[in-house]
Amino acid sequence: MFRFDRRLLQNVDWVLVGGVLLVTLMALLNLYSATRLNDAVGLTAFFKQFYFNLMGFGLILLIVMVDYKALIALSYPLYILGLLLLLAAMIFGETVAGSQRWIDLGFFRLQPSEPAKLILVITLASYYYRKDTGKGFTLPELFVPILLALIPFLLILKQPDLGTALMCLIVFASMTLFVKLRWSTFAVLAGTALAAIPLAWKFFLKPYQRQRIETFLNPESDPLGSGYHITQSKIAVGSGLKFGKGYLHGTQGQLDFLPERHTDFAFSVWAEEWGFFGSLVFMACYFFVLLWGLNIAVTARDKFGMLLAFGIVALLFWQAFINMAMVMGLLPVVGVPLPLFSYGGSSLLTNLIGIGLLINIRMRRFMVAT
Amino acid sequence: MARGLGNITKMDPAELKMLKTRIDIATAIMIALIAILVVRLWHLQIRKGTEYAQQSENNRTRIQYIAAPRGNVLDRNGEIIIANRPLFNVVWIREDAPHPDEVLKELAKILRLDISVLLERIRAGADHPRYLPTRLKENIDWETLIAIENNAFRLPGVQIEVVPSRDYRYGEMASHLVGYLGEINPEELAANKGGPYMQGDLIGKGGIEKQFDRYLRGEKGQSFVEVDVRGFVQKRLRAHEAVPGNDLQLTVDIALQEAAETAMADRAGAVVAMEVNTGRILAITSLPALPLHEFSGGIPADVWQRLLNDIKTPLINKPVQGQYPPGSTYKIVTALAGLNEKVVTPDTSFFCSGSLKFGNRSYGCWKKGGHGSVSLHRALAESCDVYFYQVGQKLGPDVIARYANSLGLGSKTGITMEHEKAGNIPTAAWKLKRFREPWQDGETLSIAIGQGFNLTTPLQICRMTAAVANGGTLYRPQFIAAVKDSTGAFVSQFQPIVDGTALGTPRMLELIRDGLAGAVNEPHGTATAAKMQDVLVAGKTGTAQVVRLAIFQQTSESNVPYKYRDHAWFTCFAPFDKPQIAVTVLVEHGGHGGSAAAPVAKAVLTRYFELHPLASVPPAETEPAAPAATP
Repeated sequence: MFRFDRRLLQNVDWVLVGGVLLVTLMALLNLYSATRLNDAVGLTAFFKQFYFNLMGFGLILLIVMVDYKALIALSYPLYILGLLLLLAAMIFGETVAGSQRWIDLGFFRLQPSEPAKLILVITLASYYYRKDTGKGFTLPELFVPILLALIPFLLILKQPDLGTALMCLIVFASMTLFVKLRWSTFAVLAGTALAAIPLAWKFFLKPYQRQRIETFLNPESDPLGSGYHITQSKIAVGSGLKFGKGYLHGTQGQLDFLPERHTDFAFSVWAEEWGFFGSLVFMACYFFVLLWGLNIAVTARDKFGMLLAFGIVALLFWQAFINMAMVMGLLPVVGVPLPLFSYGGSSLLTNLIGIGLLINIRMRRFMVAT
Repeated sequence: MARGLGNITKMDPAELKMLKTRIDIATAIMIALIAILVVRLWHLQIRKGTEYAQQSENNRTRIQYIAAPRGNVLDRNGEIIIANRPLFNVVWIREDAPHPDEVLKELAKILRLDISVLLERIRAGADHPRYLPTRLKENIDWETLIAIENNAFRLPGVQIEVVPSRDYRYGEMASHLVGYLGEINPEELAANKGGPYMQGDLIGKGGIEKQFDRYLRGEKGQSFVEVDVRGFVQKRLRAHEAVPGNDLQLTVDIALQEAAETAMADRAGAVVAMEVNTGRILAITSLPALPLHEFSGGIPADVWQRLLNDIKTPLINKPVQGQYPPGSTYKIVTALAGLNEKVVTPDTSFFCSGSLKFGNRSYGCWKKGGHGSVSLHRALAESCDVYFYQVGQKLGPDVIARYANSLGLGSKTGITMEHEKAGNIPTAAWKLKRFREPWQDGETLSIAIGQGFNLTTPLQICRMTAAVANGGTLYRPQFIAAVKDSTGAFVSQFQPIVDGTALGTPRMLELIRDGLAGAVNEPHGTATAAKMQDVLVAGKTGTAQVVRLAIFQQTSESNVPYKYRDHAWFTCFAPFDKPQIAVTVLVEHGGHGGSAAAPVAKAVLTRYFELHPLASVPPAETEPAAPAATP
C-alpha cells in the first residue's frame, strides 16, 4: 500500500497541475506588486511566498505517493492534532492585531486554523463515508459530525477569527448536504441555523465584528472608519476599468490607499492593475481549477474520494467566493483570504496539500484497491 | 481496515447516480455564484468604472501652488524700483533631526549666534507637528546660505526655506507711492471671495502694490503631485506654470524723485512734479517716508504706534491726503476770477498801505510797510495781499469758488491713489450748511488770499499750476506709463485724460504766467530762491497759516513750536515760454514758501533740466508768444 506504482505517473492530472501553477504564478506576480513598496513587509514577503510555493509543490509530490484512502484511518488522529494546535494557539499563541491566531515555530509562524479547516474536511469525508447507510442521515446520526464541526468553529471564533470559523460551518453544511439527508433532518437543521443567526448576532459577535457587518450594509456611513477598507477596495477594483492601470501602476495599491493588499485584498490589486479583462482571465483560470476539482469528484474511484474531493473544492470555492465578494463590496469584510492567491504560508501550504489530495484522487481513479 | 477497503469498490450504482446529480447541482450553483462575481466586476469596472477612476484620481493627487513672480515696478526710463528677491530663512524640521544637540551647535557656529537663541526658537515652536518647519533665522545672507548648503550633510533637520519677497532698490524712496506687501488677512480674503487669493498669499497693502495688485500678482501655477495615503509626495504629475505678474512702468523719473526727497532732507511735506501737457507725474513724494523694511511680514504693533504718534504724520500720503490752506498760491484763482469777471483789468491798480480796513477790522498785508500802488503783475510777483482783498471783495466767495473748481480745486483729481482727499472750496451755501451761519464778508478777504476755509492738496495745486502753464487744460494726474507682460509686450499704455478746462481766456492765463515769472525772476519777487541761470521759471509762493495766535505773531519763526508753524508752499512751472514741467512743494510747518519750499522746487527743476537740456529743443519753438516776460 505504501509502495508507489509507476503506472500512476501516467495518470497524473497535468491539467490540474498546470492550472494551479498558473494561479500561483499570478499570485506571486501580484504579490510583488503589492509588497515591493511596503516598508513593513517588502520583498521578504515575496521570497517567503516563493519558498512556500516550492515547499507546497514538494508536499504535493509526497502526498500523491500515498493512496488517499489512508486518510480514513488517519482522520481522527489528524483531527486531534488539529484541535491541539488550535488550543496551543490559544494558550501560547502570538497576539497580532488583537487576535491570537499564530504559533511561532521559529522558522515559521503557523496559523493552525488553516490546516484545521482541511482536517475537518478529511474527518467529515471519512465519517460520512463510513457511516453512510444509503438511507439518508437522521438527526441523531448527525450528532457526531455536528460536534466535529462545532469544536474547531468555537475555538477559532474565540481567537477571534470570524471568517475562518464560519468556513468550518459552511464546509460542514456543504458536505452534509452533499450526502443524503432525510428531509425532516434538513428542515430541523435549516430551522436551527436560521434561529441561530439573531442569537449569534447578540451573544457571539464582538462589537467590532457587528460594526463590520453594519458598515457593510451601509459603507458610506463611515468612509474613514470601518467603511474605509470596503470603499478603498471598491475604488481600486472599479478604477481598473477595462484594461487596468498596468502592472505595478495601480495607484490605490502602490500608494498604500488599499489596506491588507497582499493578504485579504490581493485580488483588488490584481483588478486595479489588470482591469476587467485581466480579472476575467484570472477568474477563468481560478474557477477552471475548482470546476475541474468537481470533475475529479465525479470521476473518483470511490465514495470517499468523491466526498473528499467535493469537500476540498467546497473549502476552496467558498473562501474564494467570499473573498472576491468581499473585496468587491458584496459581502462584509470578514477576513477570508483568497486561497492560493493571498499571501500567507499556512494558508498556501494547506491549500496546496488540498490540491495534492485532488491530484491523488484523480490519479487513482482507475486503480482497483489491493 | 481491510474491510473498509473492501467497501470502496462496492459503490451502489443508484447512489453513485444520486451523488453525480448532486455534483451537477453543485456545479450549477458554483457557476451561478461565479456569474454573480463577474457581473459585480463588470458593474464596478465597466458600468461605474469612470466614477471610481475619478475617486482614485482624487485619492492620489494633490494640488501644490507655485508662486507667480510678482511684476517689477520700473520708472519711466526702465530703471527698476521694485523687483523680487528670494528671502532665505533657516528652518528646523524636528522629524528629520536624529541628533539635535550636535547639529544645533554646528549651526550656531555658522550663523554666529548663541545656541540659546536657537533653542529659544525651537522651544517656541514645540507645539508644531514634528514634520513642520520652525524658523530659526530669517533672511540670511549669501555667505551663510552657502556655508549651510556646503555643510548640509552634517546638518540633518536643518533646511533652507525660500520665501518670495520684495527688493526695494531705492530703499524708502517713493514709499507712499509704491506701498508694500503683507500676508492677506481674513477680511481681505472675505472681500475677494471667489478671487484668486488664498490663505498665506502676499497682497499689496498700500500704494501701487495694492492699487495695481491685479496686474502685479500674476497667476499662481499649479503642480499636480501624487501623494501616498499619508500625504507624502511621491512624484510630480504635471504642472500649469505660473504666469508672472505684469511689470508696471511708472511715469515717475526716479532721478527727480531722488532730487525731491534729497532736497526735502528731513523735513515733512510733499513734492509733486508733473508734465504740464499730459498730466504725467514725474515725481510724487510724501515725507517722512514709510519704513518699508519694517513692514515685511506685517506691521509690528510698536512700529505702528510709533508712526501713529509721530508729529510729522508719516502715515498720511501728503500729496493726495494732506489738506492745507493753499495760502497765496490761491491768488492765481482770485486773479483769474477777477480778470474774467472784469472786476479788474491788467492795469487796474490798488494802493497797498500794508493793511486794508474792512468793516471794523483791519486786514494786514504780509508786507507790513505796504506795496504802494500795485496792479496785477506786481500783485502776483510780490504777492500783495491787499490787492487780492480788494479783488476778492468785489467777487464774493461763490464766484471765486467757481474759478477754483474750474482749476480742479475742491474735487478729487482722480489719481489712482487710495483715500484721495477733495479739499474744500467754500461757498456761502456751504458755510450755511456746514456751520448754520451766513457768510461774513470778512471771510471773503481771507479766502481771496487762500486762507480761511480753503483746503487743497499739493497734487491739486500742482495740477492747477500745470493748467495755468498749458493754457487752461486740466489733465488727470497719472503715474502709470505702461503695463507690460513678462515678455515686454504692452498690456496697456498711458493715454492723457482731460478732465476739464479752466475758465477765462488764454490771454488771462498768460497774464497770470507773467506775474508768476515776475515772482521768481524780479528783484522784489517772493520766489527768487527758485530762480535758475538758464531756464526761466515762473511760480507762486504761499504760506498756509496753521493758527492765528497773537502770541506767535510777535515772536520770530524759530521760537514757535513745530506744530504751530505755518506750512510753506511753492508751486511753479518751467520753462516759462514753453512749459514742460510743473513742480509743487509743500513743507509742513516750514514757514515761508519763498525760503523753505522754493529751493526744493529749484532742486527738482535743476535735475530735470540736466536730464532734459533745453538746447535739444528746436529754438524756433521756444520763442515766447508774448513779450511780457521781462519785468
